[in-house]
Parts: sequence; structure tokens; C-alpha cells
Amino acid sequence: MRLVLALAAAAAVLPLGAADAQQREGPSVEGLADTTYGCVACHADKRTAFVLGVHAERGIKCHDCHGGDPSAFALPAAHRGGFVGAPSKIATVALCGSCHANPDRMRQYGLPTGQVAEFRTSRHGRLLLSGHDLSAPTCTDCHDAHTILRPDDARSTVYPANIPTTCARCHEDKRLMAKYGLPTDQVERFRKSAHGVALFQEQNFAAPTCVGCHGSHSALPPTVAEIANVCDRCHRLVGQAFDRGPHARAARTGKLAGCLGCHSNHDTERVPPDRITATCTRCHAAGTRALALGAEIQRSALQATEDLRAADSALHRLTLAGVQTGDARFRYQTALTAYLQIGETQHSLDLERLGDLSRRVRSISRDLRGAAEVAEERQWEHKLLLVPVWFLALASVALAWLTLRALEGRTRKA
Amino acid sequence: MRDLWRAVAQWAAQFWADLKTSTDAGVLSVARFLGLLYGPIDARLPIAEAFRKALGYRLAPHVSWRHALGGIAYLLFILLVLTGVLLSVHYRPSVQEAYPSIQHIVSEVTLGWMMRDLHVWAANLVVLAVLAHMARVFFDAAYKPPRETSWLVGVGLLVLVLAFGATGTLLPWDQGAYWIVSEALNGVAGVPLVGGVAVGMLRGDPIVSGATLSRFFAVHVIVLPWFAFALLVFHFTMVRRHGIAPPTHPAPGGGGETGRRFFPNHLLRSFSVTAVVCALMITLAVFWPRPVGDPANPAQAPDALVATWVVVDVSRALTHYLGAWGFVGFTLLGLSLALLPLFDRGPARDLRRRPAVAALGATFFLGFILLWIVGSRLRSRPPGLTFERPVPAHQVGARAP
Repeated sequence: MRLVLALAAAAAVLPLGAADAQQREGPSVEGLADTTYGCVACHADKRTAFVLGVHAERGIKCHDCHGGDPSAFALPAAHRGGFVGAPSKIATVALCGSCHANPDRMRQYGLPTGQVAEFRTSRHGRLLLSGHDLSAPTCTDCHDAHTILRPDDARSTVYPANIPTTCARCHEDKRLMAKYGLPTDQVERFRKSAHGVALFQEQNFAAPTCVGCHGSHSALPPTVAEIANVCDRCHRLVGQAFDRGPHARAARTGKLAGCLGCHSNHDTERVPPDRITATCTRCHAAGTRALALGAEIQRSALQATEDLRAADSALHRLTLAGVQTGDARFRYQTALTAYLQIGETQHSLDLERLGDLSRRVRSISRDLRGAAEVAEERQWEHKLLLVPVWFLALASVALAWLTLRALEGRTRKA
Repeated sequence: MRDLWRAVAQWAAQFWADLKTSTDAGVLSVARFLGLLYGPIDARLPIAEAFRKALGYRLAPHVSWRHALGGIAYLLFILLVLTGVLLSVHYRPSVQEAYPSIQHIVSEVTLGWMMRDLHVWAANLVVLAVLAHMARVFFDAAYKPPRETSWLVGVGLLVLVLAFGATGTLLPWDQGAYWIVSEALNGVAGVPLVGGVAVGMLRGDPIVSGATLSRFFAVHVIVLPWFAFALLVFHFTMVRRHGIAPPTHPAPGGGGETGRRFFPNHLLRSFSVTAVVCALMITLAVFWPRPVGDPANPAQAPDALVATWVVVDVSRALTHYLGAWGFVGFTLLGLSLALLPLFDRGPARDLRRRPAVAALGATFFLGFILLWIVGSRLRSRPPGLTFERPVPAHQVGARAP
């Protein structure tokens, strides 16, 4: 009986297991699953890597890149007929470009075709193609040779969150970078920067990775004159304010390293309101008019920060007191907007406009604090109510006890 | 014409008699509801005499202040009904309007803040008052025959008080209310066998939503009051029928002394207690108002949940330290105490002669107070809000600290 049960259980489980195994097989790609395709007889490992990628999905096969005769199963025959084998680094660029630089091939996929042209302009491309430096990367070093995935595939080496790690494979290699006199701490510094925190901790893919500032295929560090334009692509309003101010002239003449003068490159650190003057002293000597201006800006920024914090706390107090805060919230948003504009306007060193904005923050903050105080005062007034309440309660108790004593006295007498 | 006149007079007389009878019955039923009357109603007895007869009796001589606990629980219940009705005038049970209507009550309605804070404080203290009353009854062995019905009905009233509080917690529709109820319902869903189905019916949606709010409001103001009034009438009638339980240590002389008169002596003492309790409640409401939190936001959990209802604190302490089975275990312990009069029917009333029962009772009542203190200090994060993102294999180990 037990045997029958065990058999029945096994029979019930077996087909499930089989179905599971079939599902785990991965995408079955026509042609490559074909047993008449000769390359996989020896290169099964390459096939396993290749079928994960986007090229297998599009029906590209081994011989499209490597040449040879896929209908042959034995060695001399298989490696005949325009056999390429593993292309060299330099040949790889031309090989990829044979499809990817061809608009007629790429139009259907909506892909750009400028990668190879861009690559020629990049530091990587110049080293490899002009300098024949085989330490420089080619297409397959970043995109992988066989498992080529779409950039929006989280497993891809060029997925936004993976890009810094991909670049770091070479750029954190001290021996390799010593050859070019490059530092190796960029990725480490980037992780701590505002951009790195946004990318890695907040998973905010609007934040730039390495390629956001350096370009991907045309990777090259921006020149001093270019820096402001690079940052300006995202920080548009800050860029406009910067252009209005005196620092923009210094940047145009190359005296100031653009945005990096205060924010550095890979750290892209924020300058908090209480560090403004300290940042100015990097270039400006004590006692100069410029430093006095910096101190003025710092005072105004600190005051606005304090005012905004007070407004936030007042809003919270209003909420706790149960006051309807729709209007107060709207006003707080206005103050917050002005506060953010102070951040932008700082870059123009325009004291008049800064004063305007911080006065706006201050006025709203004062109104909200006033409203919160009124609400709290009303709560305090509630306490006055306790006087008549306790007077009535104690008077009733006293009256009740006097009556009781009179009643009990009468009973005792009777 | 004369016949018509007579018919009208007859009808008027009949109407007057009917009205008088029904009014008498109405007044009497109110008196019965308040526990002032017990026994068959003699329709021929003038109502003034009926009251004199009913009010003139004397209490048992051993009745003391600790017997006031049940009365205090009832007083808090009346306070809850009065403030609840006033609140329901201004409260609007919908997702869009619940929170603004609370703000309206607190900041714009005359004495609205007091209605609300009295309601909140009474809702907390009524649980403690009921439990204290039950502990008194328990340790006095007042649940023993013939008073088992009073005990069981009392347990039913405790369940109702808890249900009132559980449904009322959600109604403010602020972040605290929303997430406390979400967490509590998740806890209930963890109860073996029945949890999932029960939560499905209570919540009416995959998350706490407008459907939940409507359900809780309907149960809070329509369903539960009917049960509460019915059980209260039953409870008071039983108290009048069987009287106060005899003392655990009867005086050796065996009576002779007479107790206090119900009217006016006992009522005056009750009145004093009422005045002091009301003043205390208002003081609590003034000094420790329930803050209005941020409006409920299903997409954003607050940093810490702050419960405003004692039962939530106790349940949270239970589930936090003992898990779902701890919650079930403590509930079963409470249930076993509830059903105790069905098993513990011996004549022994002295605590020393029933140590097992005393130990059980002490575990529950002291445990409840301990859990309340511990639970009110717990600050928990709501569940299910850590989104773990898959990390690409080659990136593991390379992530920033």
C-alpha cells in the first residue's frame, strides 16, 4: 500500500519537474538550437553566453561576425571560407561598425550610427586606432564580446547603475593607469558625490554616471572652458545665474576651472550655506571686497536656511494643533521655491536679488510662525476652562458631602 | 351629533390612557435601563410610588468605593456616547473629507476640540475601567453562581469596548491612524486559519482604503451601539436581580448592620464620583490633546508609529516580543478567564483557597498593564516597505558602504 502511494506521489511530481526543467532552459533561439549548426559542436560555451544577448534575438549567428563554414563539423573545413576567428581589438571596431555605422541596417531598430565616428574622437579611440595601444579598450571591452545586452537591461555592463563599475575595471587598475598618469580614485569619489548618492542610494537614473559628463563612445575629459557647458546641460538655471556673474568672465579666460573651482570634479560636493566663505578663501585673500561679498552671501543663505527651517517647524506645529493647513502649505511651497532660487542666484553673486529672495522666505516664515503661535495660544486658553470646571466639580462634591452628613446626622438622631 | 361628541371624547380618553401607559412604560424602561428598577411592572401603581418603592431600598453593608469601578466604566460609556454623537454631527466618513473634517472639529467647531479629546481619553480609560472592574469582580469571586450571566455579559461588553476602539482608531484618517490599522490588520492576517478571511472582510480592499473607512465607520456608529445597549440593559438587570455579591470574609456576627440607603445617600456619593471623573477627563483633554497627525498617505509610511489606544499598545508588545502565537496565547488566556465561571463553581471565595485561579487572573491583569507600559514605548516601522533591489552579480562587493 505504501509503495503504491509512493509511486503515485512520484508520478504526480515527475511531470511537474520536467516542465520546470524545460522552463529553465532559457530562450530557445532558432538556428542556434539547430543541431545542424556546426560552430556549437566545439564552442558550446560561447553559444551559452551569446543566446542571452540581444544579437541572438535578432537572428545574428556566429559566422556573421567570425566567418567560417557553419555547415561543417570538423576543424579544417569549419574554419574555411572567409574565416575571421577572434578579431583583434582594432579589427573589432571595424567589425562592429560594419553594421552599427550603417544607417540602412540600424534604421529599423531606431539605433544611432555615430558610435564608431565618436569613438575615433575619444581618448580611447585615439590611443587604439592612431596609437595602436592595445591597452586601450575596444567595443567589446565595455559591451562584452558575446553577452551583449541592451543598456536598459539591469544585467548589462552599460546599465546606468553598472557603468561606474564597468569604467572602474580599467580606471581603478593602478598599474594600467600609471602608464597614462591618471588617478584611480574617481569611482570611489563619485560614489560619495551628490551624483553618486543619487544614482546608487536613491536609484535616480536622472543622475549622471561617468558617461553623463565624459560622453560614452566619445569619452574624453572636458576642457576647462567646456566644464561650465557640461554642468549646464542639467543645471540650467544655475548655469544662467553663473553666466550673469563675474566668475563667468574668469572661467572664459581660463582663470577659473568653471564649476570645478568650487565643487571639484568627481566629488561634486555641495557647498553648504555655512561653508560659502571658506570656499571663497581658496582664491580670495582676507580683507578683499570679494571676500566681504562672500560673507554677505553666506549670511543671507544661512538666514534663509534658518527661516525655512522655522517655517517647516511652524507648519508641523499648525498640523498638530489641528488647524487646516492648505493655505499654509501653499505658502510654505512658495518659500521653498524662493529658497531654491537663492541656491541658484548665489552663482551670480547678485546681492540685490539674493536679498529679495531671502526677504520673501523670511516674510512667509514669520507669517507661519505667527499662525502657529496663535494656534498654540488658543490651546493655552483651553487651560483657563479648567478653573470653572474644577470649581463646579469640587463645589458639587462639597455640597453632596454636606448633604450626606446632614442626612446621616438625622438618621442617627432618629 | 352627541354620539359623535361622545365618540371623540372616548377616543381622546383612550388616547390619553395609551399615552400615559406608554410614557410610564417609557420612563420605567429608562429607569430599568439605568439599573434603578428591577422586577415586574405594576401598571396600576402610580409612578411616583413605584419610584419611591424602587429607590427606597438599602445597599448591602459591605459595598465600598471599589464597587464604583463598574459605575465609572458606565459613566465613561455615557461620555463616549454623548461626545460621539456630537462628533458624528461634524465628522464625514470619506477619504477626501475625513481628515479635513477632523481639522474643522478641532479648530473651528465651538468646543469641538474638547468633544474629540474627551472621546479619545474616554476610549482609552474605559478599557482600563472595564478591566479594573473585572479584576475586582474576579478577585472578589463575584462571578460564581448565581452571577455567571453577569460575568459572561460583562465579558461581551469588554469585547464590544475593544471593537469600538479598534474601529474608532481609523476614523481620524491621519498617518498614525492609517498605518496603525494597516499594521494591526496585517497582524490579524497572521492569525492561523481565520486571519486572512477576517481581514479580507474587514478591509474590503487589498490595502486600507475608503472601503475600510466606510466599514469601520458603519460598525462603529451603527452596529456596535445596538449590541452595547442590549448587553448593558441585560447586565444591569442581572445586577439588580442577583444583587451585589456577598463579602469574601463574612462578618462573624452575621449581619445585623444595615447598609446605606440608595436614595439619596448612595446617589449623592455616585454624583460626587461623576463630578470628579468628568473634571479629571476634561483636565486630561486639556493637557494632553491627541495631536492631529499628517493626513493619511498610503504611499508613504511614517518614520515611527505612535499608537493612541491602549489595546494597540498591548497587541503590539505581544506581537513584537512573542509573535503571532503570543497574541493568540494571551487572547486564549483572556478567553479562559472569560469562561471561568462555567468551570470554577465551588463555594470557595477566599483568594487563598483558590491559588490556581488567582495566579491565572494575576497573570492576565498584571500582564496587561505590563504589556501596555512596554507597548507604549515601542516605536515600530510599518511592515512591507523595504524594497530590496536585485544587485547585478559583478557589482556585489563593489557597492559603497
